[in-house]
Order: sequence, then C-alpha cells, then structure tokens
Amino acid sequence: MSRPTHLTDADVAEFGRELDAIRDEVMNDLGERDARYIHNVLRTQRGSEVAGRALLMAGILPPAWLAGTALLSLSKILENMEIGHNVMHGQWDWMNDPALDSGTYEWDNTCPSSQWKHSHNYMHHTFTNIVDLDRDLGYSVLRMSEDQEWEPRFIVQPGIAMVLAAYFQWGVALHDLEWERIGKDKTWSEVGTQASQIWAKVRKQLLKDYVLFPVLAGPMAPVVLTGNYTANLTRNIWSFMIIFCGHFTDEVEMFDEAEATNETRGQWYLRQLLGSSNLTGSVPFHILSGHLSYQIEHHLYPDMPSHRYREVAPRVKAICERYGLNYNTGPLSSQFGGVVKRILRMSLPHRRKATTLSDRSTVNAPVYAEAA
Amino acid sequence: MKPVIKKMLGSSFVGALASPLSVDDYLGLIDRRLSVSEPRGRVVGVTRQTEDSVTLSIEPNDNWQGHHAGQHILLGVDLDGVRHSRCFSVASASTDKLIEITVKRNGDGRVSNFLVDEAEQGQLVHLSGAEGDFCPDNRPPAKALLLSAGSGITPVMSVLRDWIARDQLPDVVFVHYARSRADMIYAEEIEKLAKRHSSLTVESVFTADGEGRIDDNAIDTKVPDIAEREIWLCGPAGFMDAAEALVTARSDKPLHREQFAATRRDAAHGEGAVHFVKSDVAASGEEGSLLEIAEGAGLNPAYGCRMGICHACKCRVAEGTVRDLRTNRVRDVRDTDIQLCIHAAAGDVAVEL
Repeated sequence: MSRPTHLTDADVAEFGRELDAIRDEVMNDLGERDARYIHNVLRTQRGSEVAGRALLMAGILPPAWLAGTALLSLSKILENMEIGHNVMHGQWDWMNDPALDSGTYEWDNTCPSSQWKHSHNYMHHTFTNIVDLDRDLGYSVLRMSEDQEWEPRFIVQPGIAMVLAAYFQWGVALHDLEWERIGKDKTWSEVGTQASQIWAKVRKQLLKDYVLFPVLAGPMAPVVLTGNYTANLTRNIWSFMIIFCGHFTDEVEMFDEAEATNETRGQWYLRQLLGSSNLTGSVPFHILSGHLSYQIEHHLYPDMPSHRYREVAPRVKAICERYGLNYNTGPLSSQFGGVVKRILRMSLPHRRKATTLSDRSTVNAPVYAEAA
Repeated sequence: MKPVIKKMLGSSFVGALASPLSVDDYLGLIDRRLSVSEPRGRVVGVTRQTEDSVTLSIEPNDNWQGHHAGQHILLGVDLDGVRHSRCFSVASASTDKLIEITVKRNGDGRVSNFLVDEAEQGQLVHLSGAEGDFCPDNRPPAKALLLSAGSGITPVMSVLRDWIARDQLPDVVFVHYARSRADMIYAEEIEKLAKRHSSLTVESVFTADGEGRIDDNAIDTKVPDIAEREIWLCGPAGFMDAAEALVTARSDKPLHREQFAATRRDAAHGEGAVHFVKSDVAASGEEGSLLEIAEGAGLNPAYGCRMGICHACKCRVAEGTVRDLRTNRVRDVRDTDIQLCIHAAAGDVAVEL
C-alpha cells in the first residue's frame, strides 16, 4: 500500500513492532481479572433480559413497559455488541470455556454466526476499507467513498440509510448472501444454502420475540410484542450508529486494492489505523458500544478482550503521535455527524479530486521529525 | 433439581424461549452448578491426608450418571480465567452419592498444584461422564490381588470400597507401595478396613524405610497363592511395567490395568508428526503452519485471513505440542481449539480434521 510520505519502510516496520509489543504484553497478561469482567457482563446481560421480559409481562402500566423495554434493549445491545461480536472474534477463546467459544457461539441476531464470521471477521477485518474487497455493510448498500462509481440509485441513499438503521440486523443477515456476485462467481445453490441458514436463525428470533413470549403473556400479548419490537429496533439503531462511526466518519481513509497488495505487518497496522475512527465517552458508553468506540484498537487487535482496549488506547495514541499519524477520535455527536455528512455527500454525483493516503494522513509531522 | 422441573427446562419450548442462548446460561444466574445436561459439581469436603495430596468430596448435580468402581473422570476447573481439565480416578464406591477423588501433586502441573494447595469447599468443578473398564465385572472373583503404588491407589480403593459397600468382599490381598507411611494415601482407612474384615490382608511396602521396589521375592512372600488371584494393577509407568512382568509370569488369571500418566514424547522443538485424525492422514510437522501442513496433505480445512485474525481456521487438537508462530511459545494442548494458521507442530500433534 502507499503510505504517509513522511514514513520510511523502516519507520513503518518499527511502528508495527511497537504495536506488536503492546499486543504481546496484554495477551500474556490475560487472566482472572478478564474472566471476572466477562462473567460480570454475562450476568448483567442475562439478568437484565430476565428482568426486562418479566416487567413486560406486567407491563400494563406505562412505567413497567418503559422499564421492561429499556432492560430488554440493554440486554440485546450487550449481547450483540459486547458479548456476541467479541466472542465471535475469538477474544475469549483463551478461556477454553465452551460457552464463550468463537467456533460455536450463536448470537441473538438474525444473521447466523457462521456467515458473520466470514463477512465480518474475514472479509471486513482483513480487507478493511479497501473498496471492492471490504464487504462491510456500508459498501454493499450505500455509496460511502468517491472510489465507488456513482449511480442514480444513490440519490435516495439517505432514506435507505434510515431504513437500514431501523432494520440493521436484517441488513446484516442478508449481507453475506453477496447478491452482487450471484450468477457471476456465486451459484444459486450456494445462495440457497445460506438462505436456509438465515431462515433457521430468523425463525427462532421471530418465534421467541413475536410468538412465544407474547402468547405466554396472555392478555398482555400486545404489550410484550411492542416491547420486544422496540427492543430489537433500539438495538438496531444503536449498532448502526456505532458501526458506521467506526469506518465512515469524516477523516477516515479509504484504500484501493493496489494499495493493499503484499502489505507487511506494519503496513497492515497502518491501514487499520487510518481506516478506523474512535468515539470518546464514559465507561458504560464504551461497554454498550461493545468497545467498538475503540474501533482503532479493535482493528489493530481484533482478538484482544475488548475491555483491554480502554487500557491500551492511550499507548496506541502516543505511538501514533510520535509517528505523526492521525488518531481519529471524537464524541458520538460529531463523529456521527461526519457519517451523516458522508452519506449525504456521496448520494450526489459530485466527484471531488481523489486525494491519496499520503496527502491526508499526516498531522504534526514536525513532532515526528523531532522524535525521530 | 426436581425431575419434573428438569424435564420442563430441557423441553424444546423452554429451549426456544432461551434461544440462541442455552437454558444453562440463565440457570447460571442462580448457581453455576445448575445445568440441564452437563455434569458439574461442587466440592463439599476437603481433606489433606498427606503433605502432597488432597482428597476432595464432590457433590455432583443430577446430570451425573454415576460410575463403576475403578473408572475415571475429566475434572475441569477455571484457573486464572482458563478452564483446565485433567483426568482423575474416582476413589469412592459406586454406591456413594458423592464423588471422591484424591489428587497428588504432580511436578509443576497447574491443576494438581492448585487443588493440593488451594482447593476449598464450594469450588465449582466441571465433570465428564465416568469412563474406563478397570472393573468390568460386577461379580467379584473368589480371590483377588490389588496391587498399587503411589497415587495408583485411588482406582484400587474404589474397587475395594465397592466390594465392601455391596457386601461382596472376596478374599483380597492388597499390596501397596508408597515412599513412607506418611506419604501413603488412605493408609488409615485401609488399616481400619483390614481390622474389620478378616478376608482382607494388607501388605504396605514403604520404599523409604529400606524395603526395595517390587521384585520376585516380594511377590512370592506376600502373595504365595498369586496364581489363584484375579489382579487389579495401578501405579506409575515404571512400577506397572515391572509388576506386570512379575505377575503374568506367575498367573494366567485376568489382569486389569489402569494407567493414565501420559507418556511424554521427547520430540525436539520444531519437529514431530502431525496426524489428522478424522481423515486419518499423517504428515511431517517440520515444514510450515498446521494449516499449510493440512493443505499440503490434501485436506481442505476452513481458513480465512491466514494471519491469526479471523479465527476461521480454528480446529480442535486432540493432543499434542504446538508452537505459536507469533510468540514462539510452545505449549502442550489437549482437546483445545487452536488457530491452525499461526501454530506449528513442536512435537507430535493429533488434529481433528
């Protein structure tokens, strides 16, 4: 890949070694404290789900409905973001606990875990922000980069983005079908197999949230049904916002295939850094985001237990500063504002002069020069 | 758990309410020992009979199917956040509701050291079903020889206790080798049993007191009628080999052996043979990652990034020694999922592919 012009190959290699050192240090230190953390999260998630569903059953009074829905939303957000997504990355595999095994964990989402691990863990994390290769959701439905050819259909993408936010888990579920490849290098029978896996997953969630629990609630069925729907909706919008803030904020970099050919480990780290953006906020906010608020650290170390991102972030940031590299971070409001701006800008055919990575990613170069 | 409640919790209806999580995930909110299907237990009694051993009484949940005398179980404990499982003989009689195991310190083995030093009441343990055929026949023979050494006494103890609990104790000679009286697990109980049961003769041999290791003379003087006795034998590998040669030369009665001290292969770093168990293909482990070796052997394992990120190539290793290509750390693994793309063989490895 191309690289910031002020860094030599040796600099990039050293940058990679420094990031490797942080990784090794944390991974060698995993133990009781981390196990306690994830067990607390698991207990909170399960406890809030049980309490939420129980309150909804008694939810004829608006406060009970609100509290029940809030607790169930909390549970669904924790399960998808801080538990499911991270377990499937293998962050907790070191514990050797079958209940936290990336090979077998199934999350509460209409997307089957096996398909998610392909489209997200492999395609997106390996080919991060490489247009045409990274099949992260943005690219397959929306136009998120100047490198994507404009088509008239993108005019309506602000509306499509809003629908996508509300039904995000369905977008995620359908997305590994890779419909743009069907009939080309993907056969209908492959699609059929995947579709039946998706249906098996969809059926279970529909049955649980929209049939079984409402039926169990008897006369309270409509209350439970609306509560469950709202909880799924809340989780959808929340995960849409967090995930889009991870790679589509204003300053984030996009790459083309040539830039990522024969990358070294240091170059790969560099692309992960420049292609990701963080969110600032409180500890509960980070946990609810599944620590994707530390998107940069997550992309550098996808299989590091998420709560450790909070601890390594200052060190990663310091390294970036020393090398004069942009560490893209900001509060949710401004970062999400950048995402909205990008969605709106890209809906129009206006094509700005394409800038390259080398022009954009340098900040504080003099500082780096001094340090070097 | 009452059977009716367990049946309800195990139903597909309740399963659908918990989906995609399991009912166990929610039961864990009440007590982590609770489970619809997995055997788990809690330590309810801890006795330290000798300086380097601990005897644990474990109360299993109702998924425990019981055991036969002389069988062993996998016992899993979480240490520093990591689940470790090790094999132990059950020492209790099959009629006992509690599972008793005695753990002897085993070099720098983490699990044995933890249990010997730190196990206390309330410790949660993960269990497997009992396995092994040390005692295949429910009916005892007319005459038996129990021959054990060191911690090999535990399955033998189970056999003996079982006969007594069923009131079927035959004519038994029990020969046990230990370093000293203070080192002998179950010494007190065995002495008491010998006083109470006239058909039980106990011969304890303490090697530190000057009595030698097992030999012709020992067998001939302690068990002159060995040819008439069905034999149960358990102990360290060296003892087993010596004893087996001695007894088979004298008796053609059935011989039951129990040995699970793993024989360590001393393969050098970066060497070894890789065995792909499911496809029954063998390959040299000298060149490349386990993933590359599998592909070179004509297999088609799942893979993704090939750089340790996506975990798509994760596969179970039944047993073996592997080296993490990122850290060069070598470790022994057993029934563990590892990422094939970033591990090489550092000894013989059995991969479940």
